[in-house]
Parts: sequence; C-alpha cells; structure tokens
Amino acid sequence: MSDWSLRDLQEWDDRICDLAKDHGLDWYPITYETCDYFEMLGNMAYHGMPTHYGHWSYGKSFEVQHQRYQLGMTGLPYELIINSNPCISYLMKENPLYLQILIMAHCVGHSDFFKTNRTFAHTRADTVVPRMRNAKKRIQSYIEDPSIGIDKVEKIIDAAHSLSYQVPRFPHDIRDIRQERSEWQKANRRSLNSGEITERRFNALPYQPEYDVLGFISSYARGLKDWQRDIIEIVRDEAHYFMPQIRTKVMNEGWACFWHFKILNELNLPQKYHIPFLKSHNQVVRPHITSINPYHVGFHLFNKIEERHGLDECFIAREVHHDESFLRQYLTREDCEELNLFSFSENTDMIEVKEVSDEEGWKHVKNVLLKQIGSNSIPVIYVDFVEDDTLILYHEHDGRRDLELSYAEKVIDHTKQLWNNDVKLITLIDDAPFEI
Amino acid sequence: MGSVFSHHNTNADRSAGDRRRHKNKIEKAIKDGIHDIVAEESIIGQNGKKKIRIPVKGIKEYKFVYGNNNNEKAGAGGDADIQKGKKYQKGKKKKGKGGGDKPGNKKGEEFYEVEVTLEELTEYLFKDLNLPELEKKQMKEIMSEQWRRKGYRNEGIRPRLSKKETAKRRIKRKKAAERAGSYDPESDEHFGYIENDLRYKHIKRDTKYATNACIFFIMDVSGSMSKEKKFLARSFFFLLYHFIRSKYEKTEIVFVSHDTQPYEVDEDKFFNRGSSGGTLVSPALNYVLEQAEKRFNPKSWNVYAFHCSDGDNWLSDMDAAIEASRKLKNMCQLYGYCQIEPGHDDMKWLSDSKGLASVYEWMVDDKFKSVFINGKDDVWKAFKAFFGANL
Repeated sequence: MSDWSLRDLQEWDDRICDLAKDHGLDWYPITYETCDYFEMLGNMAYHGMPTHYGHWSYGKSFEVQHQRYQLGMTGLPYELIINSNPCISYLMKENPLYLQILIMAHCVGHSDFFKTNRTFAHTRADTVVPRMRNAKKRIQSYIEDPSIGIDKVEKIIDAAHSLSYQVPRFPHDIRDIRQERSEWQKANRRSLNSGEITERRFNALPYQPEYDVLGFISSYARGLKDWQRDIIEIVRDEAHYFMPQIRTKVMNEGWACFWHFKILNELNLPQKYHIPFLKSHNQVVRPHITSINPYHVGFHLFNKIEERHGLDECFIAREVHHDESFLRQYLTREDCEELNLFSFSENTDMIEVKEVSDEEGWKHVKNVLLKQIGSNSIPVIYVDFVEDDTLILYHEHDGRRDLELSYAEKVIDHTKQLWNNDVKLITLIDDAPFEI
Repeated sequence: MGSVFSHHNTNADRSAGDRRRHKNKIEKAIKDGIHDIVAEESIIGQNGKKKIRIPVKGIKEYKFVYGNNNNEKAGAGGDADIQKGKKYQKGKKKKGKGGGDKPGNKKGEEFYEVEVTLEELTEYLFKDLNLPELEKKQMKEIMSEQWRRKGYRNEGIRPRLSKKETAKRRIKRKKAAERAGSYDPESDEHFGYIENDLRYKHIKRDTKYATNACIFFIMDVSGSMSKEKKFLARSFFFLLYHFIRSKYEKTEIVFVSHDTQPYEVDEDKFFNRGSSGGTLVSPALNYVLEQAEKRFNPKSWNVYAFHCSDGDNWLSDMDAAIEASRKLKNMCQLYGYCQIEPGHDDMKWLSDSKGLASVYEWMVDDKFKSVFINGKDDVWKAFKAFFGANL
C-alpha cells in the first residue's frame, strides 16, 4: 500500500514550488491526478489527454505497453504530463512517496518548458483540453450517425493518421491555406499584368511548397464531405500540437531532469528517501546502449551548460532552442567523449562501429546524431503541385536515407482516399528519381 | 503557488472500446494471413486446454519512414570500450521508460503476442473451412461416460462435503458480522458453523464422444531440403496439428523425418534437425506402415499421414515408394502429400514436372491428395486443398 496521502503530496509540492519559484522557473499550474497503473496505461495510450477520440490504434498502443510491462521489458512510466494550461499530470498510486516527490519536481521542469520554450508558442495550451473534448464529441457523433458509422470514420482516421507527421516543423499557427494563396495572388496581380511572372506561376497550386499536407488536402480536396474534412482538421490540429514535443524530446526531458535533481538535492530529503531517489534518478538518466536516451543526453548537456556558461545560459537555451539547434550549439567533443557516443550500422544481429568520438571521429558522430534527433527522424514531404487534379508530393531527400517504399506506397494509397483523385510521390531511390 | 491534487476515479478502462476494435482487426489479420501466425517457438502445446500465445505482426500504421539503406545511427556506449571498426553482437534491446515512446516514426516489425485459447485459435483458423466428407463417414465415434465435477450445491451426501467451500462460507459470515458489529472478534465467543454454511460437491454424468486419431508427420530432411523449404513444411504442420487437435479428443502424433533412413524423433528434433544426405522415400513410408500396424489398430484409430518433401527421390526407389504409398493410402483416412518447391511458379511444374508429385498423380482421389507449396501463401491453400471439399 502507498506510504503517502494527498496531504503529504501537497506539503512536498508546496516546498518544491517554493524552490522552483526561487530559481525563477515559470510554469503553468499543475493538476495532479492519482490513478492506478491500469488507468495510467489507459492515459498513456491517449498521450495523457483527459479526453480523446477513439481509434483502434490507441487500443493497440495500450496492448503493446501493457504487454511490455507484463513481460518485464519496461518499468511503469514514472511520469506523464501534458502541455496544457493548467498542465495535467498523473501520479500512480502504486509509487512510493520519494518517487512522487521526484515526479512532481520533474513535472515542474516540464511545465516550465511547455510554457517558455519558443517551439511551443503556438500550441494553444489554454484550449487544448476542450479542443480534444470537442473533437471527441464530433467524431463520436459521426460514428453514431447512421449514414456514416464507425467503419467509414475509421478509414478516414487511418488515412489522416498516415500523414500526421507531415506538418510544418517550425512553430506556427494553423494557417488558412486558401486565404493565404488568394492574398498572394492579390499582391502579385500587378506582376502578372506586367509580365514579370507567368500565368502558370500565378495560378500555381500551391503557390509555394506546402509542408502542411493535411492542411492542403483539407483545403483543396474535391468532394470531401464536411465530416471528412472535420476529421482531417482534427488530426491536423493534433499533429501541430504534438510536433513541438517531437522536436524537443532531449531538451524537454533534460530540463525536467536537471530541475528535479537540483530541487530534490535542495529539499534536504530524509536519508530514507534520498538514497532511493538517487537510485531512481540514475536509472532514468542512464545511457541506453546503442541508442540515445533523451534523459541521459539532455541531463548531461544542461549540467555542462551550467558548468561552462552559468545557469542563466541554461534558461536562455531552454527558451530559444529545439533539439537539433541545441545539440548543434552545445554538444562539444568533450561531451561526445563523456557520453561515449559512437556511430554504427547494424544488421539483424550485429552492429558495426563506424566512428567513435575521438579527435577525427566526433564530428561525424555528432552529424549522424543530428540527423536522427528531433523531427529529423521523419522524412520531409511537401505538396509540390497539382496538375490535372493529380496531387504531386515531393520528398526532400536528405542525401543519405531513402524512403521505405513499402510504407510509402501504403501512405500514398491512404492519401488518394483523402484527395479523392490520383496522388503521386517523387523521391530518390539509389540516387535515381523514383515515382510512386 | 501550489498544485492541485485529485483522485482520479473515472474512465477506469477508457481504452476498452479501442482495444476491441483493434482485436477485431487482429482477428481479421489472423484469418487473412494465416501464415503470419506461425509461432517461432515450439509450436505444439501439450495441453489442449492451455492458453497459447501467438505472436502476431502488428496491425501497421503506415507513415513515411526511412528505409534501411545507409542506416548509420548514433548511440551511447555506456561504460563499454567502443572501438572503431569493431563488430558487436547485438544484445537484447531494452526500451527505456515507457512513457516516451510515441508511435512509430521508426520502421520496425511490431510483434506482440495475443493470448488465445486453442479453441479460439482453431475457431479463427477453421471457421470457414469445409470439412471433408470423409470425416463424417469414417470417423469412429466412441462413446464414453464419465462422472464430472460440476460446482457446489447446498445439499448432498456427507462424503461429498466440501470442507474448503464450507469454511469459506463461515469466514464470509464472520467478517460480515464483524462489520455489522454483531460479533466482536476480541471476545471469547465461539463463532460456529451453521447449517447454511455447508456446501457439497456436485457431480454430474457426462457423455462424451471421443474419437481417436493418430497422425504421422513425415518430413524429408535430406540435403536438398533447404531452410526455407523446411519453414514451409513446418508452417503446414503447424496448421495441421491444430486442426486435427480441434477435431479429435485424443491425438497421437508421430514425427518421422527421413533422408535415406527413417527416424522417429520428438517434436523439437523434427523441426530443427539439420539436413543432410540423400533421399529414399520408401523406407520412411514402410516404417510408418509398420508402426501404424503395430501401435494403432486401424480399426479403432483414424490414421492420417502427411508427407512433406521437395519431390526428390532416387529413381531406383520410385517403384518401392509408389507401392508403399498405395498401401498407406488404403490404411489411412487421409494421406496427404505436399511437394514444396519454393521459387517455382506454377507454370514451371506444369511443364517439367518430375518428382514424386507426378509419380503419385494416378493415385489422387478422396483419400489421397497431393498439393504443391511454392511459397508462404500456398500453405493455407494447400491446407484447404486437403480439407476443403472441392478445391
């Protein structure tokens, strides 16, 4: 049974908040909800959203987590917090008090990051919870509508999900794509008349590469029913909302670890809590051999920044950077060496070390790392043009990695469903142009 | 400023509906892609009632992802002494904290296990399958009567008194009394049994239709049976095993692998034995004939034999093989021959068909069937050819 009451949590939380405030952290208030592990897994499946529309993929996500837990492949998640104002975080009843203290301090770090990091500027944290609740209601009403039903709804969600990472990476409000184009045309009518730009250019659709693929489809696809467009918009909104978290995983976790470590050391925990706290902390920030543990790298770097440039620099970094720019700027050779980073290629049962973080190798290792961090693990696809109602998507090849064609083909099939017309994708395979 | 705390008691199982949808999809996938469920580990569970776990390829959510060309990655080495150019055996990868794993922007086969009972599995597998006519006509049904335990009653004869259930009643009553305040556990008062606590085991007469079957799994493991061929053979036998098991109470399975000699082996060896040597089919078939006569009386047992081979046999053995097959066919309810030729397309074997399949061709009828397996997709087709009526 648990060794704490809500009152204990409240008391520790007050002390944590006092310390955090003294340090100048600036965070959304946090609402903690206690739940058991089963509910926790349920909340995780929906990314912590208190309400979320249903889709089989979340059922799958639950099963996968549940199974991994039961097989002992993963421990229970310590912490789950969402970027909302107020933040909502879940505390598991099964966790002992020292762990709850650690989690609460950790959450303050996350909440500060959500509120102050520039990447999150347009996530509309104030309204995300009601937005999701509304989305759920609407999708539920389509499912219950006898002329639509769950199968059709599921198909559209399947298709929209397949494009959900294809949203602009840079922080931006959701744009009105049609409106933007007509404004551009208005501004360029004179150039058209004077012959500076061709008619073809003037009427180009889109008028510039459009990275918001879902947004483009919802704006221009023919024959979309209102409910279909609405579902696409719901997925699009959520994709915009989550993109900053993909782009700042290392920083976000690093910042939260940096602060829980500082705060817990300042809390003067009794010995019986302090030692298990250190144990848990080390568990969280340990390296994961042959992969990148964001807690490990992020925690290390924020400490180094404090050491090298002072705490103020840490605050600046947490405000202006995302993972890629953060690592690019702050990860030094010394860090690569200390983190024992290396690059490797792998096949089914062997890995072969390519470079290690020594004098010659570390820059290469760092570059490889930068390519897989943040949103760089997601291929960049944009809408190039529309010709005879065919949607032409273009893959911005990064010079190294080709697309997985078996997946790309399925995504294109999904896209055709949404676009209601032919869709083509242009990419490079083995350095040669390739069209799906 | 402090935070707000609350107990979270709603939505206890919020993902139940989505899990159900997902399960439906998996069931459909299992039915559609039967070959995908062939388990990696020992495929034959000993206990028919046991729950078995079958690895299922995840229902994929497709996104644009990077492929495997130029898959150089960066990772941390921990305390290990990582040296450039060195190769390391991959350890089991452990994922980190569960919370962080957002759904895949990495490609990767997602496997996870679905726990189903054998009955459920066979239902998935064989629901739409037409059972061959011969099963109805020729199966021996042996009636057996058994007394079975069936729950508890509050009346009965003394010898069937269930002490455990009776004691449980008393404890329940005692606890309830404590809660209600009508009994003080601290006091010396005796809290005895009452008539109502008594529970008796109930038994019931059960009539069962038991059928007996013995199946001979015969697999060619000669040098020409490549890994892939054996995989196909194994997939086939997997289905077969569970199918037969679902139909018969008692199933004896005899595993015979052969090159030039027959070997009776256990399940594990059967599937994992290395391949070597030439091929003689008749000794294996004769061995099966002999064993069937000796161990299973064909009058009370339904004998089945299935032979998977790549079709190679020494020319000098052909006549003997045909003779043995003929005898075997007469003894069996069903004798199936499965020729495994991965990579062959259909046209090829039509045009220059050698091997046992062509030699056996004249025998084909209701009791002897011969099929080809050219790839994974054919396993299920082959299966249907054996057990579906008109395929």
